[in-house]
Amino acid sequence: MSLDTEDTTAGTRERELLSATTGTRWLPAQWRVHLGLIGSILVMASPLLLAFVMSTQTVPEVYEITNIGIGSDGITNYVEVFTTYGMGSYMINSLVMSIVVTAAKISVSLLAAVALVFYDFRFKNSIFFLILFTLMFPVPVRIVPLYEMMAALGWTNTLLALTGPYVASATAVFLLRQHFMSIPDSLVESAKIDGVGPLRFLWDVLIPMSRGMISGLSVITFIYAWNQYLWPLIVVSDQNKQVVQVGMKYLQSVGNAGQTDWGLIMAGAVLTLLPPLLALIVFRGPLLETFGLSE
Amino acid sequence: MSVHENTYDSTLGAYLLLLPTLAAIVAFLYYPSLQTLRFSFFQTFLFGQNTRFVGLENFTDLLGSQVYLTSVGLTMAFAVIVIIGSLVVGLLIAFLLYEVSDGKAAYLIAAIWPYALPTAVAGTVLLFLAHPSVGIYTHYLEAWFGVEFDWFTVGWQGFAVVAVAAVWKQVGYNVIFMLAALNNVPESLNEACRLDGIETWRRLVRVYVPLMSPTLVFLVVINTIYAFFGSFALIDLMTQGGPTNATNLMIYQLYRDAFQFNNLGLASAQSVILFVLVAGLTYVQLRVSDRYAQY
Repeated sequence: MSLDTEDTTAGTRERELLSATTGTRWLPAQWRVHLGLIGSILVMASPLLLAFVMSTQTVPEVYEITNIGIGSDGITNYVEVFTTYGMGSYMINSLVMSIVVTAAKISVSLLAAVALVFYDFRFKNSIFFLILFTLMFPVPVRIVPLYEMMAALGWTNTLLALTGPYVASATAVFLLRQHFMSIPDSLVESAKIDGVGPLRFLWDVLIPMSRGMISGLSVITFIYAWNQYLWPLIVVSDQNKQVVQVGMKYLQSVGNAGQTDWGLIMAGAVLTLLPPLLALIVFRGPLLETFGLSE
Repeated sequence: MSVHENTYDSTLGAYLLLLPTLAAIVAFLYYPSLQTLRFSFFQTFLFGQNTRFVGLENFTDLLGSQVYLTSVGLTMAFAVIVIIGSLVVGLLIAFLLYEVSDGKAAYLIAAIWPYALPTAVAGTVLLFLAHPSVGIYTHYLEAWFGVEFDWFTVGWQGFAVVAVAAVWKQVGYNVIFMLAALNNVPESLNEACRLDGIETWRRLVRVYVPLMSPTLVFLVVINTIYAFFGSFALIDLMTQGGPTNATNLMIYQLYRDAFQFNNLGLASAQSVILFVLVAGLTYVQLRVSDRYAQY
């Protein structure tokens, strides 16, 4: 989006104005944009770059505060945090939770969206509103009874408790409904004429036509589920069943003789960030498209 | 009612498709939310074994408690800072991304990755890098600016560190939506601005921001909810509400009353207050935007 417009379109006066305002003052405008971007990206990334470097350091190296070289404990820290300190099993637990939440949320929401778009029935709008209004009830608003319910059902420390409360989704239903509404009427008509039932229609037509939207929603849901902290902290007390975010809390106490092993903890942080970061990078296309932004 | 002329007309079929979603929202959202309201009228003792109806006593206790009122004030201040901070930083980065002509795709992914950043990782990494005794940020802050930085004991400093972490984590999300809004600005308008020689800065504030107002309203609502509910992991990992209650946000006070002191009735009353506050703020924000936003 260059600011240097074509000479042929702008008159002399405009050209003078342009060069005066869009910055040949000390740097061409585009250079300043690049500098601004590089600067802000560095500021945002620097904590992670530092965390990564320090995840390779030994305790004495970490305590030598200004040392920002690659340390001598690189592999050891990662191996140790993964095996001895349980990050491996926390990550598997998180992975299972996130995949189950994603699969369940998308399937359940697809069915609901089909009903809301391709069916005519009473109270349709009220039901849609009822689903949307759940946005006003994040976990903290219902946390005490929700926990009591899990305890009464004997679900604490189980996958059911970790995933159940995340299955229903206003966002997924809303976005899928929007998407389905853009599907041409003729397709539905011909499906009906051919005697294709709604589930077959969903499977053979809607899902293949919505691949981008479904992948985008899946990435959003996966990242969201992976990053949950408060609910697992409460509903899982058995450390072996815990997810990786709360695992970060357990890691805080790792160390010897009053010296926290920050290198090891940073290795844990890097591992915890990797899955959602990879999901974001690999699926950036559909993710951004779902948010209304294409590259 | 439906946008499609040809729809499936089996009410039973529609409800069957909606059943999983409806069952999940009733079981995990509406029922616990109503239960929260009921619990808030009870006092609990003996780990929730015994309860006694106390009417509005939990609410009057809370509103008469200096600790709780301080927590409400802190939460409001925190919300304002985090909303303004993450929106302003997000807007600047989104604008730079919009303006840049080369390397857009690479810059985009480098700028939005914090969307995938788990709150627990953001908290743990900053806890270490800004640690009063071993943190590299603290080291240089003190060396370069000659200030005493000890956010483990100085209240406002602890508050500031948590706010910075919260903004850091939220910027990616805001950039995605703001850039999508900027991309919708008609090219002819850009052309007109250029020919009129409008300064870059004025173009952003006078032309783009008003055009983006629907997105900005949406983001204010989302960021409010995030500030109220999303910072729990940061506080739990970084400050545990301290120093001297300076980061004791409402969500953390609720967690402590519910799961450390087993005061379930009092905690439920706090859930109700949080719900009313956030619902009220959302309503006001939407009303105000109706008046000022240009749709």
